[in-house]
Amino acid sequence: MRHRVVVTGMGVVTPIGLDVRTFRDRLWSGVSGVGPITLFDPAALPTRIAAEVRWPDPLPRDRKIAFALEAARQALEDAGACGSRPRGDGGVSLGVGLELFSMEDVAAARAETLPPTRAERLTFLQTPSDLCVHAIAHRYALPAPPLTHVSACAAGTDAIGAAFRLVADGRRRFMVAGGTDSMINPLGVGGFCRIGATSTANAVPARASRPFDRARDGFVLGEGAALVVLERRDDARERGATVYAEIAGYGNAFDAHGISEPHPEGRGAYQAMARALADAGVSADVVDCVNAHGTSTPKNDPVETQALKRLLGERAYRVPVCATKSMIGHLISAAGAVEAVAAILGLREGIAHPTLNLDDPDPACDLDYVPHKARRHPQRYVLSSSFAFGGQNAALLLRHADA
Amino acid sequence: MDERPHPTADDPLVLTGLGVALGASCDPTPYLRQRKLRKFMGVQDDLAVIAAGRALASAGLAGAALGERVGLYLAVGYIPFDESDLETLHAASCEDGRFSMPRFSTSGLAAANPLLTFRCLPNMPAFHVSTAFDIQGPYVVTYPGAAQLYGALEAAAAALRSGEVETALVGGVAHQRNFLVERHFARIEPPASAGPLGDGAGFLVLESASRARARGAPVHGRLLACDVAYRPWDPFTEGIAARERFDERAADLDLGAASLPVAVAAAASGRHHHVLASRDGFEAASVWERA
Repeated sequence: MRHRVVVTGMGVVTPIGLDVRTFRDRLWSGVSGVGPITLFDPAALPTRIAAEVRWPDPLPRDRKIAFALEAARQALEDAGACGSRPRGDGGVSLGVGLELFSMEDVAAARAETLPPTRAERLTFLQTPSDLCVHAIAHRYALPAPPLTHVSACAAGTDAIGAAFRLVADGRRRFMVAGGTDSMINPLGVGGFCRIGATSTANAVPARASRPFDRARDGFVLGEGAALVVLERRDDARERGATVYAEIAGYGNAFDAHGISEPHPEGRGAYQAMARALADAGVSADVVDCVNAHGTSTPKNDPVETQALKRLLGERAYRVPVCATKSMIGHLISAAGAVEAVAAILGLREGIAHPTLNLDDPDPACDLDYVPHKARRHPQRYVLSSSFAFGGQNAALLLRHADA
Repeated sequence: MDERPHPTADDPLVLTGLGVALGASCDPTPYLRQRKLRKFMGVQDDLAVIAAGRALASAGLAGAALGERVGLYLAVGYIPFDESDLETLHAASCEDGRFSMPRFSTSGLAAANPLLTFRCLPNMPAFHVSTAFDIQGPYVVTYPGAAQLYGALEAAAAALRSGEVETALVGGVAHQRNFLVERHFARIEPPASAGPLGDGAGFLVLESASRARARGAPVHGRLLACDVAYRPWDPFTEGIAARERFDERAADLDLGAASLPVAVAAAASGRHHHVLASRDGFEAASVWERA
């Protein structure tokens, strides 16, 4: 028996809002979270801009752990706002980014001087990314075996998809799922600069992330986290929880093609989206809106457009395609999770959020990307996609709670 | 509608292929469909491609068009930076013995191996395996140890049972005998490792018995049972000792994410129990019958 799975709690930490309400308001208004890098001195790096989280207090060295804990707190409080916690034993499914590596610690590592406390030793030189998962499971008493996903830019979507499957199949009763990442550090930004992946439009930060625009020159790095609470629809109804949306289907697929470029026809992207539809038992005709991967890189955007045309056929030109990264940059392993929340908010309120900076569309990108301004657009189904460097592609199909 | 029979109690999951690669010195070139990718590969990538290739060959799938009906379920180890790469980057980024951002952003970055980014991403072993063997099916890529491989195995079994895939390539890979990973284990108390750290990869090919029979595949064994439990713990204040055994023997080497498939591949005929209590709060066990 397959259970219907719904979202009953959401939490976000993003460059444009540290809670769901603020994130939603700024998403609808088209606010950019991109600015000069302040977390460290980028000196002469080719890229000196990013979408940073404006956190009010000092954060520990590995910011993604704090982001994940805060997003989990929000999501679980939200899911419990009706007065009861989700039923049964829950677990964590989290997409996480690279281990944080501190260049400052390298010299100290040579000198064999270890910090005194256990916590300091654990984060010395390199902070293992799985610490996030255990910290969430411990703080919020989630005893079901957790899963850590490292499928790069697809990890947040894969984490929610895997959690959906676990709850739908009855292998877990509820899950806290999403992604967290922060690569705005010297090695993170430097590594992307070294392979020419990031925008160098340093003079105009808010205009640098421009998915599907002819003048796009790479992605803008962002940071943050989003977690959602997934549970059986029957459980949610019985305990009177607010249902934000239903996860109707999930699919993922390999490109099996190139290390840094997508398959030229978007083979894996198409397969992932088609599998999400097949998993839900619906055809592409039901898709009312798409939350695109939309990185603002020269290679991704036209290939994603092709994959959407293949999936949606003639309807592709009439289905709004929104690129959240135009406002918050690319959150890498958290991207899919934050964008899933953006998609759920749009689905729930009947809004297609804007794609900023789409002034001069690339002729190879000729769909309706909702340029500049949000639009009222009632939806029953929305597709949210993530395509990773390295050819891992994932998609979620979300259904309106009342559909 | 998928009309193919799915594994059930009467149609168990069988092991049709096994492959192992041990040690940090090995050449995956014969398995690569795109030889130009060789320069992007680190030790984890090499090990994963070789072990996957051996497993697929053992399953009678060498050179087969794997495509969309084969899924990859992979656990990868901690990120292994090569010390030489790090040394080069560090030396060119220091001023008066301290890290200097102006130096890093100019001479440091220029001196860095341009392939370093590709070699340290944890999803790269999955990329190289999928590309070398044209796997276009679904995947799980998890991290960082032996316990997470059980999560991948659970997902693979579910995908086979639901009919999402016909064949599941389940494996683990870990390059642990390097500066960064050795240092990571050394700083954990109580000692995190079940034995001396090793480098290795192991892959298992799982299919339903009916599917294996239909294509005339060799059957090397069966997965009889598998279970995972977890106790939440606070990594910043608490440490957990690690234990791992296969049958009654303690593991000779701690192969991290690769330990289960390597143990299963090395087992003699008969029934075997793999039992794991990991340093990260998991207790996992599986029962295998080798033909």
